[in-house]
Order: sequence, then C-alpha cells, then structure tokens
Amino acid sequence: MKHENTIAGIILLGFCAIAYWLTTDFSEVSAMLSQNVPPTFFPRLVLFIMALLSIILIFTGIERKPNPAEFLPASFWKTVGIIISAGILAYFLGILITLAVIAMVLPIAWGERRYKLIAALAVCLPISIYVVFTLGLDVRFPAGRVLEAVM
Amino acid sequence: MNIGLEYALPILTDPLVIGLIIAGTLIGVIIGALPGLSSSMGVALLLPFSLYLDPIPAIALLSALYCAGTFGGSITAILINAPGAPPAVATAFDGYPMALKGEAGRALGIAAVSSVSGGILSLLVLLFAAPFLARIAYSFGPPEYFALGVFALSMLASISGEAPIKNLIGGCLGLLIATVGIDLTTGVERFTFGVPELLEGIQFIPVLIGLFAVTELLNQAQELNRKKIAIALSAVKLPSLNDFRRVKNTILRSSGIGIFVGVLPAEGSTMAAMIGYNEAKRWSNRPEEFGKGVIEGVAGPEAANNAATGGSMVPTLALGIPGSATAAVILGGLQVQGLRPGPYLFEEQPGLLYAIFFAMLFANILFLFIGLLGAKIFSRISLIPSTFLWPTVFALCFVGAYGLNQSMVDVWIMLVAGLVGFILKKNGFGPAPIIMGIVLGGLIETSLAQSMIIFDQQWTVFFSRPIAMVFFILAVVSLAAAQFRSLLAKFLPHRR
Repeated sequence: MKHENTIAGIILLGFCAIAYWLTTDFSEVSAMLSQNVPPTFFPRLVLFIMALLSIILIFTGIERKPNPAEFLPASFWKTVGIIISAGILAYFLGILITLAVIAMVLPIAWGERRYKLIAALAVCLPISIYVVFTLGLDVRFPAGRVLEAVM
Repeated sequence: MNIGLEYALPILTDPLVIGLIIAGTLIGVIIGALPGLSSSMGVALLLPFSLYLDPIPAIALLSALYCAGTFGGSITAILINAPGAPPAVATAFDGYPMALKGEAGRALGIAAVSSVSGGILSLLVLLFAAPFLARIAYSFGPPEYFALGVFALSMLASISGEAPIKNLIGGCLGLLIATVGIDLTTGVERFTFGVPELLEGIQFIPVLIGLFAVTELLNQAQELNRKKIAIALSAVKLPSLNDFRRVKNTILRSSGIGIFVGVLPAEGSTMAAMIGYNEAKRWSNRPEEFGKGVIEGVAGPEAANNAATGGSMVPTLALGIPGSATAAVILGGLQVQGLRPGPYLFEEQPGLLYAIFFAMLFANILFLFIGLLGAKIFSRISLIPSTFLWPTVFALCFVGAYGLNQSMVDVWIMLVAGLVGFILKKNGFGPAPIIMGIVLGGLIETSLAQSMIIFDQQWTVFFSRPIAMVFFILAVVSLAAAQFRSLLAKFLPHRR
C-alpha cells in the first residue's frame, strides 16, 4: 500500500531542493549587467511555487486512502531495456542498423512469433527511413563505430 | 469585406499545399483511429518532417492532421469501443452501443456530419476572431503578456478536475525546463552541466516526442494482452433528414461549447467533448436513454471536440498562448520555424491564417468523405497488431529526434523525456501541462524580466494595469473554480 501523492510530493520537494542548490552554482553577474534581474530570479521563483504546490500535494496525499501497490509487467521492463540499449547501440552500429535490430527485438519481446513478418519489418523499416530521410530530406545517419572501424 | 483572397489564392492553387493537406488528413484519420496514437502525438511525430518545408505548407500539413486526427478517434470509439484519441472517449458512450445494435453506419454518419459542422463553425470564428484578438493584443505590453501567461498556466488546473495541483506542478516543470541554456538577459549558463548542446536550451521536439510518443510506447508495453474486436460494419450512411432534425440543436449547442472551450487557454478537445456530451444529455427529453445508443450522444461530443480545434487556434495564433495540447505542439513548431506567434504574426506572415483556415476547412470536407467511405478500411487499420505498430512508431521517434540537429544528445533527451514522462503519468501527471510550460516559458520569463526592468522592480505595476489585472483576476477565478470542482467531486461523488 502506498500514499501516491505524498511520495510524489516528497520526491518533487527533493527535486526542488536539488534544483535550487544548482542555481547557487550559476555565475554571478553585476547588478548593472543583470539590470537587477539576475539569472537565478526566474528559476528560483518557479522552484518556490513548485515547492509550495508539492507541499500541498503531500498533504492531499495524507488525507487520501492509500492505493494498493502496482507492479509493472516483465514486458514493460524489457521495453525499457530495449529502448535504452537502442541509444547505446546506435553509437556502435549506427542508427539504421540499430533500428533494424529494434524492429526484430521489440516485437519478439512483446510476444510476437510471426518471424517472417518480423524479418520483413526489420528490413523494410530502415530502408524506408533511409529513402525518406537520407535520399529525400538529406539527413545523414552516422555509420557507428563498428562500421567505421571495418570500413 | 476583405477575406484575404489575395493570400488565399496562392495557397489554394499550390499543388504542394493541397497535396500536404490531403496527406495530413489521411495521416490524421489513421493516427486518430489507432488506439494510443493521438493527434498531439501525430503532430509531434510529423513536426520534424515539417521543418523541411516552408512555414505555410508546414502549418497546413499540421493543421489538417490536427482536425482529422480529432475526428479519426471516433471511428474506433464507435466500432471497437477503443477511442483512438482522448477526445473520442465520450463518443464511445453512445457510439459503441449503437454499433452493438447494428447501427454502426448510422453512428459513423452522425459522427462525421457533427464533426464537420462543428469544425466549419469554429473555423469561421477563427477567421474573424483571431485578427480581432490580435488587434487588441497590439496594445499589450510586457506586464499584460506576463499576466496572460499566468492566466494560461492557471487554466492548467482545469484540464483534469481530479489533478489540478499535479497539472500546475507539470506546468512549473515545463517552465523550469524552458530555463535551461543561456539566459538571454545576462548570458549566464543555467542547468547546462557543461554539455555544449544544452547551451541553446533543451530542444523542444525531442522532449515533445519523448513525452507523447515514448511515454505511450511504455504504456502500451503494459497492455499487450488487450484484445480488439471489430464489429461488422454495415454500409455507412448519412444521417436521414429526421436524424438531422433530431441532432441539429445538439450540434449547434455543442459547437458553441467546443469553440468557447477551445478558445480558453490550455483547454482542448477532450474537455469540450465531455461538456458537449453532458450538455446533450442535460438538454435531452430522454436523458435516461443516453449510454444505450442515442444519436444525440454521438453528435454532442463529436461537434464539440472538432469545434475546439478551430477555437484553440485563436489564442495560439493571435496571442501566442496555446489553446490545447496539440495547439501547443503546433505553436512550438511555429517557434522552431523562426516565427513569432502573437499579434505581429499576421503582419509578418499574412498568409498563415488563411493557410490554417483553408487547410482545416479542406481537411473537414475531406474527412467527411473519408469518414463515410473509408470507415471500413480505417477500422481494419486500427486492428494492426501493436507488436508491429509500436516498433515502427519508436523508429520514427528515434529518427525524428535525431533529424533536427543530427545529434545523439537529442535522442537521449527524447529517451529520458519518455521515461520521466511515463513515471509522471503513472503518478497522475499528464504530458500536456509540461509541454504548455515549455512553450510558455520563454514568453513568461521574458515578459516578467522586461516588466521588472522597465518599471524598476515595482511589482505593483502589475496591479495598476487594467488588462493585466483582468488576467490576474481570471487566473484566480480559474484556480478557485478548479479547487471548488475538486471539493465538489470529493463531497458529492455520485454527481461525477
């Protein structure tokens, strides 16, 4: 059982405190240059309002009945792993090959077993993207470290 | 009366613009029909493509997608009880029961005619109200713009009656994200963590794609077992004269509601549709039949949600204040194109208003035919397995985020925005308020800083300017109304 709003409010309050601390690191400028509106002025104003709202959220959470804890299924965690891996893989394999890999792995992780269709998607998707973006819109995709080393 | 034919003709005769409007309408109906994909997400995904176009063709494409996407959601709401987009949720209340009774075609016909009627009425309002509002806004100075920005943010409290505080926090988070980068007044770096790509601020498009599309991808990853069953669709037919007589008042009333709700900052089609449905029920002689499949229950929300699309473009173009989440995305697109939404937009880009007007008008007429003739096909599209649909959407997200600056930092921003967006959504924080905050951030900070500098740090200046005072009062009323509604829902739960 958990008090969702209370936990969210406490986390947000912590976030505000960290963000405020980060504003203390901003370079200082003379009052003449900043015309008495220093670079910290607006972020701190927003953080103050956000902290105030977070405190209200904490109290509304305490008033409410706690909700039962919710567990996320394995397919969700697999998806998170796959999309983060995509960001890392793109450095090594390049974006187009990475997208072909994702087009194979993600459907399988989601329980798809029609392998011919999966293979077709893995081939057609990067080719379509290459045609539209590189040939049509002149977007250059990096080849990736592995291909660069091989070539 | 000058209706701007000199601007309209080049747009109407440009094959590229016409082609893009047709493409935008088709993509919009498909995206709207696909459960999980909303018009906001569609516009977000198409935004990177649109940046390769000139402003007028780009805005025509996005506007057509916006109104067609709003209608597209009704197809799946009626046929498979899975609203393709949030504005179509209320359509399912009576549309699906009608389909179960074998009246799917009649329900789709009513939905199409009501949507088109609401859409066209709202476009007329857009054509005349936007320049009028812009003329008023010429007299606005920084204090008025700051007050207007505060009012727009305060309206976030009303987006969802259950989570006003969370919406306001989301808006603040957006404002904070907008402060990342070099402060324009002093040249000081803020929250850049030494990353050179962040000096110009966090790019809007990757955040947008992350918050709308990647968040939904993760959401879909939890719902893989949900089965979608299509109902056999008899020939789609137009409403009979008798049907039309029955719903004409509902359409007119709901269109008025939709336009009004759309013009209010931050309030979009979803709220308009809900109010449209409730009002249709309240004014009906047979309210007890609602929920069992009555045509007024389809006409009310459909006229209202599409009327809100034109309405929401009024403050977006005239004041630079988004009227809905999708309008916020379009506004961001205009800013990325280097345009300055607000009263001067009509001077700098006089054809833009007409491009939007004709794109949306053409899209409305087009989706009437598409909706009636192609409903069977679109209902099949909605049955595309999510195991193939979402990897394709993810690939588009990846390339869309990368394409603008050809930078992997933008891809990581998109991924992080998606993960954070999912965690926030799980805890009741929607993406729309954050986007609104990001879009309004620049305007609010700049106008506040300018006001403070011009009026020598005198806070009282805000209360000595009548227009600014009106906006502040409206902001207080909006916050109080949201709080009052929350309390009402708490103490009178049976009335919700």
